[in-house]
Amino acid sequence: MQTDTQRDTGGAVISAVMIGIACLVIWDSMSYMDGDSAVFPRTFAAVLIVASLTYIVMWLLGRAKAGAAQEPGSATRRILLVAVMLGGTMAMPVVGFVGAALPVFAALTLIAMYDPWTRFRVLVYPLIGTAIVLGFFYLFREVLLVPLPVGSLFEGG
Amino acid sequence: MAGLEHLLAALTPINLAFALFGVVAGTVIGAIPGLTATMSVAILVPLTFAMPTSSALILMGAIYTGAIYGGAYSAILLNTPGTPSAIATTFDGYPLAKKGDGDYAITIACLASVVGGLIGAVALMTLAPPLSAVALAFGPVEYFWLAIFGLSLIAALSEGSLIKGVAGGALGLLLSCIGVAEVAGDVRMTFGSQTMLSGIQIVAALIGLYCIPVLIDLVAQPGHHLKVDTGSRGFRLGEAVRYLWGDKINAVRSAVIGTVVGILPGAGGSIASLVSYSEARRTAKKGQIYGKGEPGGIIASESANNATVGGGFIPTLVLGIPGTPPDAVILGALLVQGVRTGPSLFTNQGEIVYTFIWGLILATLLMLPTGLLIGRYAYRTIITLPKALLVPAIAFMTIIGSYAIRNNISDVIIMIVLGGFGWIIGRFGFTASPIVLGLILGPIAESGFVQAWTIGTATDNRMGMFFGRPISIAIIVFTLFTLLSPFVLARLQKIKDQAHAD
Repeated sequence: MQTDTQRDTGGAVISAVMIGIACLVIWDSMSYMDGDSAVFPRTFAAVLIVASLTYIVMWLLGRAKAGAAQEPGSATRRILLVAVMLGGTMAMPVVGFVGAALPVFAALTLIAMYDPWTRFRVLVYPLIGTAIVLGFFYLFREVLLVPLPVGSLFEGG
Repeated sequence: MAGLEHLLAALTPINLAFALFGVVAGTVIGAIPGLTATMSVAILVPLTFAMPTSSALILMGAIYTGAIYGGAYSAILLNTPGTPSAIATTFDGYPLAKKGDGDYAITIACLASVVGGLIGAVALMTLAPPLSAVALAFGPVEYFWLAIFGLSLIAALSEGSLIKGVAGGALGLLLSCIGVAEVAGDVRMTFGSQTMLSGIQIVAALIGLYCIPVLIDLVAQPGHHLKVDTGSRGFRLGEAVRYLWGDKINAVRSAVIGTVVGILPGAGGSIASLVSYSEARRTAKKGQIYGKGEPGGIIASESANNATVGGGFIPTLVLGIPGTPPDAVILGALLVQGVRTGPSLFTNQGEIVYTFIWGLILATLLMLPTGLLIGRYAYRTIITLPKALLVPAIAFMTIIGSYAIRNNISDVIIMIVLGGFGWIIGRFGFTASPIVLGLILGPIAESGFVQAWTIGTATDNRMGMFFGRPISIAIIVFTLFTLLSPFVLARLQKIKDQAHAD
């Protein structure tokens, strides 16, 4: 008999989420004006439902086994990484590209830091981070002519 | 060889300098996630307007070929395809780098890119007019079946569970539908959100699905990003040349596939590399384990995507139909230069065309020393940079790279959210590659399907439209062969083993 650790319960839960997504797609496709727009999403929503249901049935029959062990590590750092990147990006239209990128770089340095903070690191890491941010800012804005956000706080001044 | 007399015209110091500059600039730009070959060429096109036509073409060709190769660096070292053409390079390149063989992987990628680039350029020089007919033979239904053939790779990319791979592929196809429908113009699956209106940009999605999960795992533990070996091992050129020679059929076959796919308008390097990878995997020798760090996978992908450069120029120059997106930009520059593309181009303006093709060959050859040098520097930087600087630097590049594609903050947000989602489902065995495959092939499959369906309905011959055209039948047979041959061969082997045991 299989135990819960052998059975891929997580995979079955994700499959259920996939079925939810597919149902949402089918519901959305009801509002399309042209039938041609609906054929493709409906077809593959059906494929998604069939594949996910098959996996759930396999799980119920005890034939869906969990894969290799997951990489361990700090969940807090993982969540912080995504949150900082997302927060910095959302702040860009307000505080501008450099205004958001410098704090994001600093925060991510802190999140990814495992070594002890020596005097050298305290002095050099912020300098390297600033050089990377400003260097790329110059490259993209002045050389590649990408209109990086100035920030609504600084516009019209 | 045709146009040999124009070799000297391409060999002028100024043209050589342009070729060198183009290759280096293209390689560096292509290595930055988010900056595609199309963007590299588009950025530098205005520089070429004041140049002599052949020099301008050599510069653009060199940038293009360098950028396609540059995408391999981030694919191998960061698991992030620098350009969509390098998706298949991640499948074996990153596992090889994780084992401590990133330097070897980069040298293999460089050699394969040179081989592919040369074969594509030679095809352009010698076979352009007859091969351009291939582009015209492909209608919507053939594109649809080509996309389905690409999707058959899901079976190979599904690690552990084919059902999860199919679900991932279907999810990718659904994600590709978000935004305004190409064919009928309906707004699909945005649920009122302005962020979703412009759809999911493929390069941003690639960066998110491949790079963000690597960053999430990188930040969680104190260990090194890649396994570090002590002592200098040089470029490992001899080792790589020996391997490439042993796998020469794979390299040449992939280059031929790349050239032919490059000829098809709109198909591009990503499909070429995926199809070649699929073929390499299907024909793997005993002991070759694709997806776990097999150098043959890098050879297939890189040889094919660089061959699309020469292949893509065939319809561009002969028919005036761009084979790949960067070709469309170059076609615009050609028109500004007063070059009239068409079947008579090779005879009426042969001097310009052949000088350009020789320039392309020289640029491809220059890619060998420059690519090896830049690759070594990139590898050393990645393995020696402390994690506290590597993580923010990569994260910063993913943000600025995703933004620069369409100058759109929404693309960055979608990139990060997809990355987080990809990491979560990845932990439960739903890998990123089938989703990416669906995302890339979705628009091609859908427009091909809907157009073929409409034509079939109008001519009252839907079945004939989908299953009655010779090229379609050939692709269908090949797809079935690719899908079924592993099962049939395994079954035959089992029967053979049983017979031996008895």
